[in-house]
This record gives sequence, C-alpha cells and structure tokens, in this order.
Amino acid sequence: MPDEAPSPGAPAQDEVSSLRYDHVSKRYGDSTDPAVDDLNIEVAAGEICVLVGPSGCGKTTAMRMANRTVEISEGDILLGERSIRDRDPARLRREMGYVIQQIGLFPHRTIAQNIGTVPQLEGWKRDRIEARVAELLELIGLEPGIGDRYPAQLSGGQQQRVGVARALAADPLVMLMDEPFGAIDPINRERLQNEFLRLQAEIRKTVLFVTHDIDEAIKMGDRIAVMREGGRLAQYATPAELLMAPADEFVEDFVGADRALKRLALMRVGDVELWEAPLAYVGQPTSEVVRKLEGAEVPYPLLIDSERRPLGWLSERDLAKGMVPATPDSPLGALLDRDDVLRDALADLLQEGSQYAPVTDASGRIAGVLSVEIISEFLASPAAESDERGAAERVHG
Amino acid sequence: MVSAAPIAEVLLHNRSNPDCIQRNEIFCPGWAVDNFNRYVDPVIQHVVLVLASVCIGFAIAFALSLLAHRHRWLSPTFLGATGVLYTIPSIAFFFLLLPITGRGRTTAIIALTAFTLQIIYRNVTTGLANVPADIKDAGRGMGLTDRPLLWRVEIPLAMPEIIAGLRIATVSTVALATLAVFVNGGGLGVEIYTAGNLTFKTGIVIAGTLAILLALAFDLILVAIGRRATTWRRVASG
Amino acid sequence: MEAGGERMSGLVPHLSLGALGLFGDAFDFIFHQQPAKTGGGLATVGGLDQVGTLAVEQLKVTVLALGLSIAIAFPIGAYLGHRGAGEGMALAIGNAGRAIPELALIAFMAAAIGVGLGNLTMALAVLGIPPILTNTYVGISQVDRNAVEAARGMGMTGGEVIRRVELPLAVPTIMSGVRTATINIVATATIAPLVGVLTLGDFILSRNVYGDEGVLAGAILVALMALALELSLAGIQWLMTSPGLRLGRE
Repeated sequence: MPDEAPSPGAPAQDEVSSLRYDHVSKRYGDSTDPAVDDLNIEVAAGEICVLVGPSGCGKTTAMRMANRTVEISEGDILLGERSIRDRDPARLRREMGYVIQQIGLFPHRTIAQNIGTVPQLEGWKRDRIEARVAELLELIGLEPGIGDRYPAQLSGGQQQRVGVARALAADPLVMLMDEPFGAIDPINRERLQNEFLRLQAEIRKTVLFVTHDIDEAIKMGDRIAVMREGGRLAQYATPAELLMAPADEFVEDFVGADRALKRLALMRVGDVELWEAPLAYVGQPTSEVVRKLEGAEVPYPLLIDSERRPLGWLSERDLAKGMVPATPDSPLGALLDRDDVLRDALADLLQEGSQYAPVTDASGRIAGVLSVEIISEFLASPAAESDERGAAERVHG
Repeated sequence: MVSAAPIAEVLLHNRSNPDCIQRNEIFCPGWAVDNFNRYVDPVIQHVVLVLASVCIGFAIAFALSLLAHRHRWLSPTFLGATGVLYTIPSIAFFFLLLPITGRGRTTAIIALTAFTLQIIYRNVTTGLANVPADIKDAGRGMGLTDRPLLWRVEIPLAMPEIIAGLRIATVSTVALATLAVFVNGGGLGVEIYTAGNLTFKTGIVIAGTLAILLALAFDLILVAIGRRATTWRRVASG
Repeated sequence: MEAGGERMSGLVPHLSLGALGLFGDAFDFIFHQQPAKTGGGLATVGGLDQVGTLAVEQLKVTVLALGLSIAIAFPIGAYLGHRGAGEGMALAIGNAGRAIPELALIAFMAAAIGVGLGNLTMALAVLGIPPILTNTYVGISQVDRNAVEAARGMGMTGGEVIRRVELPLAVPTIMSGVRTATINIVATATIAPLVGVLTLGDFILSRNVYGDEGVLAGAILVALMALALELSLAGIQWLMTSPGLRLGRE
C-alpha cells in the first residue's frame, strides 16, 4: 500500500472533515424503545461537538455509530460528503481516531509501537512512522525516551495521553472520544483537558466527544448536544446559548442551578467594560487627585508607577498628606489580568474581600478596574449572543 | 408387550455366548453381566489408590503453599520442584522408585502423589493470591492477626480455586492410577493389562469405562463439597 | 546383581546400598552394550546405539502427535475464543480429556483399529487435544477486552485483531496448554511398546529382556527426555512472550 497516495475516493489526508448525523436511529432486537432516536447533528470541520447526557441516554451508542462499531438502524451518517454506510468498516475506522475511557493500550507492544499501530496497518515506511511517533510524543508532552517503555510502566495520566496520540497517529479526519478523561483523578483531568484544548488550537481536528459531565462539556465543546433517555436530542447549541437559553426543563435541570455562574467561565475580564479609577502618581499633589475623585466611577484612587503599573490603593489618610506617598496605605489585594476568566476573577475578588481589583494588560499596565458590580450587571443582562459566543470561542482558543 | 419378548430372548441367548467372546467383539453385554463381580476388587483398589494419593498430595501441597504464602522467596523453588515431579511420566517414576520402595501399592501411591503436587500447589497459591487486598485490609483493621486472617478469611475465599485444583488433580489421578498395574499396585489397570492381556476388547472397554465413571463420580462429589464450602457465593448472587 | 527391592521395603540402609549399586548398573547399561537376559530376538542390549534409536522413536512419536494436536485444537480454540462462543464445550472437552486413562486408550486403539505409528499418533492426539483446545480458548477469550475494543475501533479487521492483539497476549496461557499436552503425550508414548511402537518405554516394560538395570535405565532416560522437552517449551514460551507482559508479575 503506497504510503503517500490517499485511498481512492477518500478526501486528501490533510483535509479535515465535517460529520453529519441525518435522522439517525438505533434499535436493538425487537425492543420498541430506541437507543438513539432520530438524531440530527452537524459537526462542522475543525469543531469539537460534545455529546452529553445522563447514563443510558444513548450518547456513547450515537458516537459509536460514526465508525460503525455500532451499526445504524435508520438514517445515515455522512463523513464529509460520503455516507459511512457504503464504506468498509475497517477502512473507515482507520480514517478516524478512536479513544475510549479505559484507553485499551496494547500491553504487549511498546509505547512507540502502540502509537504507530494504524500507520503500520496502512503500510507506512518505518522512518516515516518513527518520525510521526516522535512528533506526537512531543505534541502530547511526553519525553521521547518513553517510546521504548511498555504501558505497564506508565501512570494513568501518561497512558491516557498515549491513547490520544495513538488516535492522532494517522492524521485522521475525525476524532471520536468516549469519556477519554473519565478514569483520571480530577487534578490530572483538568490538566489533560487544558492540554487537549491547546492541542486542538494547533491541529484543529473535527472531534465528537462524549461525556456525562456538563462542566466538561461546557469547557471542551464548541457545540454541545444534550441528550435525554430514549436517545433523543434535547438541545444542540453553543455553551453560551445552552446556559442562557435552555430549551426545556430537562436541559435546565441537567445544566444545573448554577448556570449563571457557569456563564462566567465563558467570558474573560477583557471582554466586559471595565471602570476607570482615578490614577495617581508618586509625588503628585494630592489636591489634583482629590479633584479627579469627583464623579469617578471608582471612589478610590489607584497608585501607579511611571510604567503605569498599579502599586496600591490610596486611602483618605494618604490623601490628607500634601503629596502622594510612595507606599500606599492599602496593599493591592487582588490583581487581575485581562485574559483571566471572569469566574476566576470573581473568585479572587471574593477571596480578598475586595469590591474592586485593578486589571492589567499583558505588559502589566493598568487597563481598568473590575468590580463585583460589573460582574453582576453582566449576569443580569442578556448580553448580545454574538458577544458571548465570540468570547467563548476565544476562551477555547 | 409383544416387542419385549423377542428382545429378552436375544439377551438371554447372548448370555455368556461363547461366539461373542470368541470373535472378541468390542462389547459383549452377556459377558459383562456375568462377570461383573471380578471388577469389584479392582475398583476398590483403584479408589484406595486415588484417595490416598490425593489426600497425601493435598496435605503436602497445601502445606507448601502456606509456607510460600508467608515466605515469598520460596515460591519459585516450590514451583520448580513440583514441576519436575509433574513432568516426569508416572510410569518412569514408578520404576525410579522401584529400587527404593519395591513393588506394590506404596510405590504407586508415592508416584501418584508426586503428580498431584504441582496442580494443587498452583491452585492453592493462585487462590490465595486472588483474595482482594481490600478485604485483607479490612480484616487487619478489625484486629485479625495473620493466622486467624489466613484461616478465617483468605482460605475460605480461596476455596473455589482450591476445589478446582482438587478436581483436576483427582480426575487426572484416576486416569493415571490405571498404570499402577505395572508395579503390582492393583487397580483397574489389572483388568486391562494382566487379565485381558491387552487384547480382550470387552475387558478393556469395561475397565476404561469404569475408570471414566469413577473420575466423574469423584468430580461430582468434589463439586458438591465445593458448593457446601462456598454457600456465601450463591447467597450473594442469588 | 540381585535387586534387593523385590520385596516390600523394610531395610532402608541395606536397600540404599543395593539401590545405589543398581543406579550404577543402569548408567552402565546406557552407555555399554551387554548380553540380553533372555532371547527376545536380541543378542545384545543397551548401549548408546539402541538408546539412541528408541529415543528418536519416542521423540518422533511425540512430535507427530503434538503437531497433530496443535493443528486440530489450536484453530478451533482460537476461533471460538475470538468469537466468545462455545465456552461450555471447550471447557467440557478439557475436563473430559483429563479423565481418559491412557492405558485403556491405547489398548482399545490397538484392539479396535490396530497398531502402527499412524494409529498411535491419532490416539495420542486424543490426549493432546483437550488441554490445547481449552487453554487456547481461555487464553484468547480472556485477553484484555479494552485492548481488543480499541483494536477494532482503530480499524483492524478480525484477522488482524487475532494476529496482532489476541494471540500475542494469549501466548502464556496457550503455551501452558501445549506443555500439558506434551506431558500427556510423552507419558503415553512411553507405554507405546505395549502396542508395538518401540520407544524408550521398551526398556521399562520388558524386564526379562533388559534386566533390572535396563528397566531403571529406561526410567531415567524417559524422565530426562520429558524434562528436556519441558525446558525447551518453557524456553520457547519465554521467547514468544512480549517483555511488556512479563512486567508487573511476581
């Protein structure tokens, strides 16, 4: 099998493909209740679509129909333009990456051999496989030497990463991931999620991701498909839409009572309109500062240095002196960055017990002040959907 | 009623029918019925051989396994030693023992015992090893020291494996004990080798069938014992 | 040299001395030809030549029977294990095979269909098939299901899954079955002289021809051959087992 020429009829190797479910249903035996009921979803190329729902809602079954691990009863699934039904299952699966919860690394092959499984099946030449393995190990953040070890010698988190690398090896058009981070402890799970998002920013695969955890869905998904028992689609929307406008009571319950707070995870500090605090320099006459205080949005002056970097807040006692002192009465407390997610910013504010926190840009210069009031105003108002969606995309990178 | 009579007639006609024996057919029912008594002794001898070998073998292998359970480093040695005894064909073993223990039942029992050791040792060891660590932990946490933990927790939980090992060992020993005839150890082998001189088909068939039935009987008895010893399993899944 | 072990043992020290002497005679028998005890058509017995001939015959019989057993049992066990079907039958055959008395088997074979290498090989295969069938089935069906699912999901065909994943992982269990089969076959091949195929067992079974030292020599040789085969198979198993599987074991 030539290792450069793509298989006839399939899209070229470096094209990423869309995935579309067209009235897909799955029925087992003579059971009248379908496992998946008339599912219609389109996953655009390069997007992550998360299938989420309670146990038994058919999300895993739905995903597995995409690579014909489970056969479709009714309807069709289209990979790009072509139906998967007239593809040979084995060949189809080689074009898709497949990651399962228990990983399923081959204990009798080395890490390098595990990763190189599909390329080897496809007949790649040995040095091409080696190069690809090295590339992937670096991509997933593991040292190159690990390629010669065996799965039994790796930790759970490392094995999970190898599982992802193995799925990416032959540069698949679509990635299917079934609770890939489910078996990991929460700390490492968060790390792996972040790394996968970072990876996705680089390689932009079309991903179908299954999870039962709504928070993971909101964090990972460009679009989320909420499914309910009976295999029915309850809502298919972006995370922002899902949180702001749940389609029905089921979705509302599933998303959780704290969906307002969840929205805060979607916005960055720099996305909201910040307030201005009167700025004061060291050595400035306090009379000037006092004048600026009148009518200011933030009733406290912020001391900054010559680089416009915040040093602290000035108190009334400070203002009683003739000149602005070098060391302010109140320390800085919370200091925020424009790239911080609003949820973390709120957490910082609450931690310090302050109502206001200065916000700096990437170089550390003052950009504005964030107050708790700004956040609650944001939560109360139905912000323009496009703003939030756009912000959400930026959060996902 | 009408059809029964001709069949009975045929059977009566076959009783000790010299023709059947003369032609050395595979199975002569008449002869079997007539000569059933001659098999009683061999069967009894066979049972004695098997019971003695398996019981002694179990005692030894069980003790070895407990020793290795306590002192892990002994395990490879025991596995190797029992493995050698398992590998050597019983018939060779019989005659290796001959200069030392002579002909007779003792020699046969020693050799048959040696064969059972590895099977039982392996199964007891595996059974003990498969006891979940958290159960042992809970036991220790409740204040059980090593010995009570072993006898009250680990061994009962290992019973399924142990019984399985006993079954395999017993069935194998029943089959092997037919060779005891070569060292004058008695058993069903006598009917195959000595009495029938290896050519009397009916005799071979009967002896062989009896051996297989004996193995089956032992197996069923052990299964029943096993069920008794693990009622907790059935209750849990019931 | 009168064997003191004719009677039931009683005088251990006396017997040990006698036994020691007999072992010496046995080794002598292996290497040097000596006059036959009775006629039996042979003028001299013993010596490396005869030992070699009979050993080769035993080896030949064993290898043929083992080959036949593997050829029949392995594909069936592998197929059933891969599909996960027929567990009851696979296990039942394994259990039943254990209960077959080898003496009755070859005696019946000889009486029913006659003697000869071919018939003997088939009879020995009856003893060799059960352990291989059962162990192959268990080995393959108990392979880590996650690895198999991942393999299928990645696009391996059924045959590729068997060859690349299930078989390599099942090697230890399957080889264990092969070794058990070998032990059964070697043991029965030893008594093959009873049905006309002359193997090393002939030394053991024809005391009137070979004498007590011949009998003992035969026992020693058979034991050595069995051990040698077992070690070879253990070595082959070690070679065939992936290093990844040897990790994490005691």
